Amino acid sequence: MERRRLFANGAPCALAALISLGPVFADEGRSGDPTPVNLGAQIFADPGLSASGDLACATCHDPANAHAQSNDLPVQLGGANRDVPGFRAVPSLRYVSFTPKFAFDDEGTPSGGFDRDGRANDLMAQAIRPLFSAHEMANESIEALVSRLAGARYAGDFRAVFGQRVFEDHDATLRALLFALAQYQKSDPDFQPFDSKYDEFLRGSLRLSPAELRGLALFNRADKGNCAACHPSGRDPNGELPLFTDFSYDNLGVPRNPRIAATQAAGYLDLGLCGPDRTDLADQRNLCGAFKVPTLRNVATRRVFFHNGRFTTLRDALRFYVRRDTDAAAFYPLAADGTVQKFDDLPAELAGNVNTAEVPYDRKPGEAPRLFEDEIADLEAFLNTLTDGYRLPSNLRK
Amino acid sequence: MDPVRIRRPRFARSFTLALVSAATAATPMAHADEAQLRAEIAELRAQIAEMKAQMKTIVEQGKASPRAPTAAATTAPAELATRIEKLEETVAKETARGSDTTLTSYGEIALSRPRYDANETQADLVRAVIGFGHRFDDKTRVYGEFEWEHAVTSADDHGETAVEQLYVERKLTDHFGARAGLMLIPLGLLNESHEPTAYYGVFRNFVETAIIPTTWREGGLAVYGNTDAGISWNVGVTTGFDLSKWDPTSDEGRESPLGSIHQELQLARARNLSFYAAANYQGVPGLTVGGGVFTGKAGQGATDFAAPNARVTLWEGHARWQTGPFDLQALYARGTITDTEALNLTFVGDPTPVPKSFWGAYMQGAWQAWSKGDYALTPFARYERLNTASSYAPVPEGLGVPASPTEAVWTIGANFNLGPNVVFKTDYQKFKVDSSRDRFDLGMGYAF
Repeated sequence: MERRRLFANGAPCALAALISLGPVFADEGRSGDPTPVNLGAQIFADPGLSASGDLACATCHDPANAHAQSNDLPVQLGGANRDVPGFRAVPSLRYVSFTPKFAFDDEGTPSGGFDRDGRANDLMAQAIRPLFSAHEMANESIEALVSRLAGARYAGDFRAVFGQRVFEDHDATLRALLFALAQYQKSDPDFQPFDSKYDEFLRGSLRLSPAELRGLALFNRADKGNCAACHPSGRDPNGELPLFTDFSYDNLGVPRNPRIAATQAAGYLDLGLCGPDRTDLADQRNLCGAFKVPTLRNVATRRVFFHNGRFTTLRDALRFYVRRDTDAAAFYPLAADGTVQKFDDLPAELAGNVNTAEVPYDRKPGEAPRLFEDEIADLEAFLNTLTDGYRLPSNLRK
Repeated sequence: MDPVRIRRPRFARSFTLALVSAATAATPMAHADEAQLRAEIAELRAQIAEMKAQMKTIVEQGKASPRAPTAAATTAPAELATRIEKLEETVAKETARGSDTTLTSYGEIALSRPRYDANETQADLVRAVIGFGHRFDDKTRVYGEFEWEHAVTSADDHGETAVEQLYVERKLTDHFGARAGLMLIPLGLLNESHEPTAYYGVFRNFVETAIIPTTWREGGLAVYGNTDAGISWNVGVTTGFDLSKWDPTSDEGRESPLGSIHQELQLARARNLSFYAAANYQGVPGLTVGGGVFTGKAGQGATDFAAPNARVTLWEGHARWQTGPFDLQALYARGTITDTEALNLTFVGDPTPVPKSFWGAYMQGAWQAWSKGDYALTPFARYERLNTASSYAPVPEGLGVPASPTEAVWTIGANFNLGPNVVFKTDYQKFKVDSSRDRFDLGMGYAF
């Protein structure tokens, strides 16, 4: 099956060009309240901005579930009739505004950027795709989106903030909408509350339980979980609380997920940095199969794991990390001859891109995994402390 | 003698230079004026001497033949003495003005070859330092020192630049003074006297780099003084360490606990000030015995920090005896960081939690075996023991890291001096615990 085009109007370049911002608008008619942030909140929650009329940003990025999906489908359904399946699992938008721009360092290592392949460089650019993608909100054109926006109950607020004649310039209206969404995600504390149990622990307000502490140790230890190598757990050099991602990219060889409709086509491959969604790195074959390291904040609230939602429980995802190479048959299909088809979501010639050097992926068949089952339980106990919204007991409040 | 501190060669050197070599540092005009004044004084002194001789003759003649002395004979020497006194005051002022600004510098280059891995041989321009002193008047001066390390400094290179010292100093009495600015902390034998000509061996000793984080400086205020009995002292209130900078994932904290959290007055967090006191006894020629303590809270008011009350304390004691061709030194230093338990819990699983205690000690003996003219050859041997993490605050069983083993290092080598300002060095260092660090070193340095 051929992968659907991301943009219904087939003009992604023109859309991308829109975000080369000039001034958003004059202050004509602006009042102190409403604000771009408040408008962004209303836009984020408005299903009326989609072709189907019932798909808002918040539908997939559910605020009640750490701004991630609240079902266990590997991909969500969108389009005018909510029947077009997507291609990747929904990432959480919590703490997303801290994402740096995509870049290569001096050694050619990529990092940063929005989306799982880093192709959007800021929040405004990131928001374009879901607005127009045929498997998401599926607006047919900028004009169609502006028409829906002009009919929204908050259209008056939109005019008040961005100018009474804002809807007369469709491109400018889109820029304003993206600006409001970005401001909302940057400014609203709901997107970056830093109020997990672990945050309180780092603040010195409480102590973790013995199991949680053991889990943290396993998380950090370079010879055990080694999770902190990509998901730093300590304060950064400026003393800021950790984001649990270094925004790097890695190829874990995650098994193909037959629950994604697109995988029914044998030739369908999602290779992350080198396509098909991202097109500018297609020739860098060493990057094929690499996806951005996500934050682990709120990981225990995820309903699916990895870019293709291959696993639906945190425990199974953790088991995959440490047993991928010691018990491959538990994760990959068997060929007709009984051999394990390891790294079955990559063409054979790209299997060498999979990380098999670093802990915990450095095991060989027959060797003990880096973490045993009781240790995985401790690690999961620790990861549970990363969930936002922890209420500090009153006797511990400062 | 410099009233500030006895054991502070570079400052003492520049101060002495200011007083003694005024003529060379002064402008040509000042130089000429001063020479003229000195010539005039000499001439007047000669006149006094001559007139005293004449008076003596007159008195003797008077005894032989009594009569009233002449007015000229009794008043002329007094007038001359007054004139001399005024001229000497003028010379003193000219001397001070002529040495207002001085330049200092030191630098060192080293080559190090690991005994078991010659491929890791490395040559480095370790540091180049330029300093200046400027005396505003005979009581007040400013001193600054600027350092480049590892030759090249840029975003893509390993070098760094730093202001090592920058302070203003006021001599309040002959035995008492005050200082404000970025200052070296007067603990140990090396921190204030860290020029390559001031120590034996290609590299500074481990104890006074890993335990006492030479070159250790803080911003603050200090008062100092000395007594006629040979005791010099120095106390101050300064910025301190910032424990929130501790990185449990790197080795820096294990290499030098305090070196990894010093601030060097670089946008230093100064919520908590630190205090130090140091003293030296030098009442016996060639002997220095002293010690000091530095203490301060290191939480620095960091919000939501797990160790807000942590306190860093470092104390040391030292002795040096220079007699004849021998130069003997010994030092012991010990540091502690309190209230780290909660912070270290956040570091479980990481390789470098915050130590509770760390210490080091060394003994060193040097012997000037040969000298001729400006040349001097001084073999030396040094034995050091140090532990940068000798204990940790307790954490739940299985989650901590073991205390570090105590490393012991022998350093045997020689300094070859070309006068007091240039030195060539070589040594061999042998490590007891980590023998992969055994190495041969070559180096050269200068200081003026």
